[in-house]
Amino acid sequence: MYGDAGAKLVGQAKRAQTLTNLPPYLTELVRTITREVRDLDKDVADLLEPFQGSFHPSDDQATACTLLVNHLSMRRNKRCLLAYHRVRTDRLEELVWNSYDVVDLAGQQVRDGSGGMNGGGSGDGGTGSLCPQEEDYMRQYSDLLAAYKGQWTDIDLTGSLEPPRDLFIDVRVLKDAGEIQTEYGAITLTKNSQFYVRQGDVERLIAQGYLQKLS
Amino acid sequence: MDIDDILREVDPTFDFVPGETRDLQALTRAWVAERSAPELLDWPPDGLFERINDRIKQQIERVEEMTGDMDPKTNFALIVIQTELERFKYLVRSYLRARIAKIDKHTLHYLSSPALRARLSETEQAYATRHQALLHNHYLSSFLSSFPQSLQNLNDQAGNISMIDTPDLETAVFIRLLTDTLVEGRGTDSDGGMDGKIGDIVILRWSDAKPLVDSGRAEVI
Amino acid sequence: MALPLPTGLVPTEVAFLCEMEMVTIVPRQRLESITLLSGKTPALRPPHRAELPLWLALLLKKQRRANIVPPPWLLPASLQDLVNQETNIDPEAFSPPPPPPMRSDGYGAAHSYTQHSTNPADVVLAPPFLPSCTQGAPSGYLPYHWLEMAETLLAHAADDIPGAADARALLRDLQEVRAAKMRGSTRHLEGGGGVLNLRGVGAMELAESRGFVLGIVDGVRKLGASVEASRREEEEEEREGGGGGGDSDDEMEF
Repeated sequence: MYGDAGAKLVGQAKRAQTLTNLPPYLTELVRTITREVRDLDKDVADLLEPFQGSFHPSDDQATACTLLVNHLSMRRNKRCLLAYHRVRTDRLEELVWNSYDVVDLAGQQVRDGSGGMNGGGSGDGGTGSLCPQEEDYMRQYSDLLAAYKGQWTDIDLTGSLEPPRDLFIDVRVLKDAGEIQTEYGAITLTKNSQFYVRQGDVERLIAQGYLQKLS
Repeated sequence: MDIDDILREVDPTFDFVPGETRDLQALTRAWVAERSAPELLDWPPDGLFERINDRIKQQIERVEEMTGDMDPKTNFALIVIQTELERFKYLVRSYLRARIAKIDKHTLHYLSSPALRARLSETEQAYATRHQALLHNHYLSSFLSSFPQSLQNLNDQAGNISMIDTPDLETAVFIRLLTDTLVEGRGTDSDGGMDGKIGDIVILRWSDAKPLVDSGRAEVI
Repeated sequence: MALPLPTGLVPTEVAFLCEMEMVTIVPRQRLESITLLSGKTPALRPPHRAELPLWLALLLKKQRRANIVPPPWLLPASLQDLVNQETNIDPEAFSPPPPPPMRSDGYGAAHSYTQHSTNPADVVLAPPFLPSCTQGAPSGYLPYHWLEMAETLLAHAADDIPGAADARALLRDLQEVRAAKMRGSTRHLEGGGGVLNLRGVGAMELAESRGFVLGIVDGVRKLGASVEASRREEEEEEREGGGGGGDSDDEMEF
């Protein structure tokens, strides 16, 4: 029945909002709905054809009703498609804000994408769940965001939204780590020495066990 | 002689609030309001935002100069400066992103009239226009272009449901009164009013709060 | 999505705001004035006290370069008064916020920080930019950022606070009795009136119940939308058709 495919697509959009990874683009379903719209439009044209542009709804209520239903179905399908695509572009934009690009996404989908319930959908290898148009969109949005960010280079627009805390921390050196470069110049990290340093400069050394953060 | 000096001569009480404090208060107020109001608010007037950004830029340059010729172990002033700098950067970043999030959510709405457009900075207008164009293009290349011509618009009003989604201006907010003033708000069962006192914290609908906030009699919190 | 945060400040953001509050410190080391974006810091000369924003005071404290002077309202005697105020004197409303701080103009007159100036370039100050946590702040009044200020000071400068353990216990009492008041305020919200005054409420208290409180207000509005619409229609008709009708007008005013 007309509208079923649209409802299914919206259901998928809703579901996609709760998933961590974007499920594969439903190429076939989108195509079906688009075709449905064209069929409906053709029906409308066929229905109106005999009237030669002088159709009066009150004279032929049955035809008028069919036309109305067709029109509403077309518009409904359009909304379903828009909703589905918007949900997905929202996700793509979120990824761009989190500094992913199309290439990262391909890697991620290959790594943990095989468990997807829609597995075998439009899987064309490469970039997994995105359709080519979405890949384009993601690239273009990346460019747009880069341009906007470029207006505010000093504040790093895609930086953390957590209020800054403990920019500088006390660390103790657990094992000799040689010399490191910080914004202030070089510091030599010898065992058991203590420093007050910018957290960002030493996060890796803490993770590697060279330094210990002191509370 | 800058503007502060002139004002100080005219108004002896002026001295107590230095320009930097006033700007930080204004920026902080704008940030809190943008984080809490249901719609996009005006871009700050009087070049506040640009002024703050210029100062951030200068401060970053200063940090770079200082780092070159100072001993890291005794360089406490630099630590203080950088800590504050991060706080300012965060404030500006969070503020800009709160605005972009609202613009993204209702792009067509904010581009729909000159008055609404005027709330956006020039950069934001350029971003919003381009973003909308990208989206429209994406819809066109994905499905819309194979639709009949009459169905390709993104601003249908069919069935009296506009395709242009708008923010809910009746959403409730908290405000603080910055002066004694009458506060009136519409409610479900009855409308209310009160003789507000400075410092009162009031819950009411944003549409009722907005005139108070716009006139500086209250701030969103 | 550009901002993955709910509408309204979350607790970490409120704590960030609170760090802009001025506090009083006693420096243990000299420190020259530093030109910051928010203005010049005072030169620090032990043992002369100075006022600094909390974030900077904490930085100095962590480095053992200064001690923090707790605001008078945070001392146990003041908190005890406040518990009494909140539980016995007025068990309904929040205790009143501190009176607007005054400043001298150097000509012998006192002015409120918050008064509307005739100067259009002036910005009216409000928390956290009004001094309410310095040593000069009044005792017996909870400022807007009371809870987060108290928690921060007790976490990082407990050794500077006389009776810190008592203060902790009293703060817990305050938190409880005030949380009950916050919950109680929903009674008024369900009534669907137009405005509700929560004078005296704190920033963290708002942040923690924001979703809940505003959710009720918006929920009531949406459920009652048709009732409200027809009420407005009736009032509109009455106003147009009325021509006098003093009695009903009075009723409608309310």
